[in-house]
Amino acid sequence: MIEVENLTRIYNMGKVTIHALRGVSLKIQKGEFVGIMGASGSGKSTLLHLLGLLDKPTQGRIILSGVDVKTLSDHQRTRFRLKRLGYVFQDYALIPELTVEENVYLTSMIRGTPKQEYINQTNGILKRIGLSDRTTHRQNELSGGQQQRVAIARAMVNKPEILYADEPCANLDSESSRNVLDLFKQINKEMQQTIVMVSHEEWHIGYFDRIIILRDGQIISDGPPPSINQGISRGYI
Amino acid sequence: MFSDLRVSFFLAVRGILRGSRGSLYLTVLIIAMVFTNMIFMPSIILGFIKVAEDQIITYQTGNILITPHEDEAYIEDVDELLEKVNHIPGVLRASPHYSTGVTLRSKGNTIGTSVVAIRPDDERLVTDVYQKMKDGYYLADGEKGEIILGIQTSGHKDENDDMGATLGYLQAGDPVTVEFTNGVSKEFHVKGIIETGSYYADQGAYITWDELESVYGKDINKASDLIVKTEPDAYEPDVKTQLYRFGVREKVQTWQDILTEAMGRAVQNFAMLNSITIIVSLIIAVVVLFIVIMLKTINSRKQIGVLKAIGVEKKIIINNYVFQVLILTTIGVIVGVTLVESMVAILTVYPFQFPDGEVTPVVATSDLINNTIMLFIVSLIAGYIPAWRVASEDILTAMRA
Repeated sequence: MIEVENLTRIYNMGKVTIHALRGVSLKIQKGEFVGIMGASGSGKSTLLHLLGLLDKPTQGRIILSGVDVKTLSDHQRTRFRLKRLGYVFQDYALIPELTVEENVYLTSMIRGTPKQEYINQTNGILKRIGLSDRTTHRQNELSGGQQQRVAIARAMVNKPEILYADEPCANLDSESSRNVLDLFKQINKEMQQTIVMVSHEEWHIGYFDRIIILRDGQIISDGPPPSINQGISRGYI
Repeated sequence: MFSDLRVSFFLAVRGILRGSRGSLYLTVLIIAMVFTNMIFMPSIILGFIKVAEDQIITYQTGNILITPHEDEAYIEDVDELLEKVNHIPGVLRASPHYSTGVTLRSKGNTIGTSVVAIRPDDERLVTDVYQKMKDGYYLADGEKGEIILGIQTSGHKDENDDMGATLGYLQAGDPVTVEFTNGVSKEFHVKGIIETGSYYADQGAYITWDELESVYGKDINKASDLIVKTEPDAYEPDVKTQLYRFGVREKVQTWQDILTEAMGRAVQNFAMLNSITIIVSLIIAVVVLFIVIMLKTINSRKQIGVLKAIGVEKKIIINNYVFQVLILTTIGVIVGVTLVESMVAILTVYPFQFPDGEVTPVVATSDLINNTIMLFIVSLIAGYIPAWRVASEDILTAMRA
């Protein structure tokens, strides 16, 4: 599903050169719920941005669903993001002028899905995440947890091959965080949805099938949750 | 393509309806004012020109003016010419004028002017001067010893309203002595005072043709000019052609020819003034819309980044803002048209008062269409550039804004 070889990302900021990622290689299989963890500045968001085609690597290769993304034009990358990837951001990133349902079905409209079909899809997913009574509400009428659930619905409505989540619980209280993580877990289990999520919260590890820990732009640990205890005890997270 | 435009329009409508109301009202108001400015000034200038046209036709030249050749002082055999002209298709009636220099004396005031001999029955069919009697009555065919004076010759009650030397506020029935160039001096009674608003007519003095013949002691079969009224549906240049075709040898000019000759430079200056007004208005529109969209896009940088991240193409994002500008401009133009029409309605009831008459704005449909098109073009540019700049930004840079 996801194959990364020798991924390097260097930022040149004036006279300063930052090596955000240094030769990262990994493989993620379909249906995995992968957590990318690490301290601040470890390169976890950079890795997610590269995997999500929001940024381009300085060096290395990314293959998503068998497609070497290096070969894609900007237009093709946009279409790829629209049709095959889903995103949930830390700050929800909803469009404030749109209602809950409009935020959810916007990408379906762009994909050219017939209206009745995307309305049904939207209603279905909003019901599933428990927001069917908030369809005409706008962002400022929702709690943080509700907004993040809408963002998940938006990401999921088109059944993406891979769902990326960039610290989706960073702005939520623990109860809302738990609800959001439960939802991710449910989607992962029931729909065999591949999810790649960046987190720095220690207690999230129980939700992941697999945890990749980064430090200074390199993978220092990659495995199922039990083995992560070592990483934590060593202070990587 | 259509689907992308539909999404852009969807986003644009939501952006306007659910965005800042204050910004929406202010932008629409500014566009409406810009549009009003673009239309109103030309409409006043057109109103001026319309007044000049009306006055030339109604009080001065009729639809067509026939004058002697440049090397001749008078049109000879005017009766024969009149007979011919009055039978030409498209001509309603022609009326001869015989103009001669005179000295007028009354109440101790003396002025030199021209007196125009007319045939009142013909004149009534050609000009509307007879309808503009401020005091007394118009002349009748065959009358003698009576004169009609324009208000700028008789003088106003308040001399501040006079535009030149006058006889000091004469009224109907007052005596006035007229000295002709042939040495004849005769006392007339003022039969009426005319006030048309046209300086040309209002500074004149008019006597009958019979009176002129009695002063000269002979039949007068020549004229200074012949003014021609055409049928209401006649096209003056066609009638002019007909006049030449039917053997009229004198100089024939339509009122348009005369207006161009008299006001050509003024019309050019008005056109330049119009252009300057429109350019300044368009610059204001461009700057305002540019700033509005620039602020909107800068405030929405993060949102634009998110849209791009979830797979919304750049052109959809740009078209969203272009649609917003087009919608704002459409509303602005509608409000502007309403404002202009309201002002025109008010100024039709309460027109501007000018020495040459009452001026009401005249809105030309072509001006409305041209200015609307120009406003839409500059709006498109003003909306597109800032939207393109922000939409072209790198996704992560925009999202971090």
